[in-house]
Amino acid sequence: MRFIAYIFALLAGMALSFEGAIYGELGKNIGKLETSFYNFIVGAIILGLLWLFFGKGNLSYAVKAPKWSLLGGVLGVVYLTAIVISIPFVGVGITMVAVILGQLIMSMVIEHFGWLGTNKVKINREKVLAVILMMIALILVN
Amino acid sequence: MGIIMILFTLIGGITLSAQSAINGSFSRRAGTIETTFLTFITGSMLLALIILFFGQGNIFAIFDAPLWQLSAVFLGVIFLLFNVFAVTKIGVIATSITVIIGQLVISVVIDHFGWFNSLIIPLDTKRWFALLFMLIALYFIFKGNKRSVVEAKQQK
Repeated sequence: MRFIAYIFALLAGMALSFEGAIYGELGKNIGKLETSFYNFIVGAIILGLLWLFFGKGNLSYAVKAPKWSLLGGVLGVVYLTAIVISIPFVGVGITMVAVILGQLIMSMVIEHFGWLGTNKVKINREKVLAVILMMIALILVN
Repeated sequence: MGIIMILFTLIGGITLSAQSAINGSFSRRAGTIETTFLTFITGSMLLALIILFFGQGNIFAIFDAPLWQLSAVFLGVIFLLFNVFAVTKIGVIATSITVIIGQLVISVVIDHFGWFNSLIIPLDTKRWFALLFMLIALYFIFKGNKRSVVEAKQQK
């Protein structure tokens, strides 16, 4: 079961790259902010349909949930905007390195301390090694 | 100026991880589809405001854009949906690193073939080594995570 989650995460990353490449082209046609807006609006429509037919959870929990746990969408917008603004200044390569570095360090810290409602999972040798390997890979790619 | 931009992008990466963590904990109570739905809704609301004030493009050009460009929205949906699902099963760091690997592999492939009008950057020895390192990193994450889970169970 855990194995499937890894495959899903891998597919998610692949989707993100294809998405970025394609939206780059759309951005030239309709504007960058407009492209992210298109993504979120039409995405909401698709998810609305999925939710109506397959939603087994509890959407009304959104009203009771602690407010910080509703910030996922806002953070997604911050991420997209940060990328859109910085690429013209420093290029795609450095932008991706900075984003990935931020992601790696932050996810380690979040899980190590069990912030934001995650299960507390201590950092261990293997994880530090994996991050170092990722940094080497990043340098080699660029 | 460059340094400020790099710091700014670093914050972008930080928010992406924070988003994974937050969505993961919300979805444990509300469900995967529900969490993704809410993320898209609140994101659209915020962007609607931003575009009203700062939008310089033309959103209506969407009707003239080629369909293959518009189809990327399904990829956006897949990314969030799978991301939320994976975080609840294997945690933030394992999900982040696996997502990054999928991202880098496809970027390298897109560069190699020059798809979507991108620059053609061939898959050279350096990049093959990078892919190899990523594969080893994935193995260590898988192993390290398994160990953390075992240790957590022993403590209970």
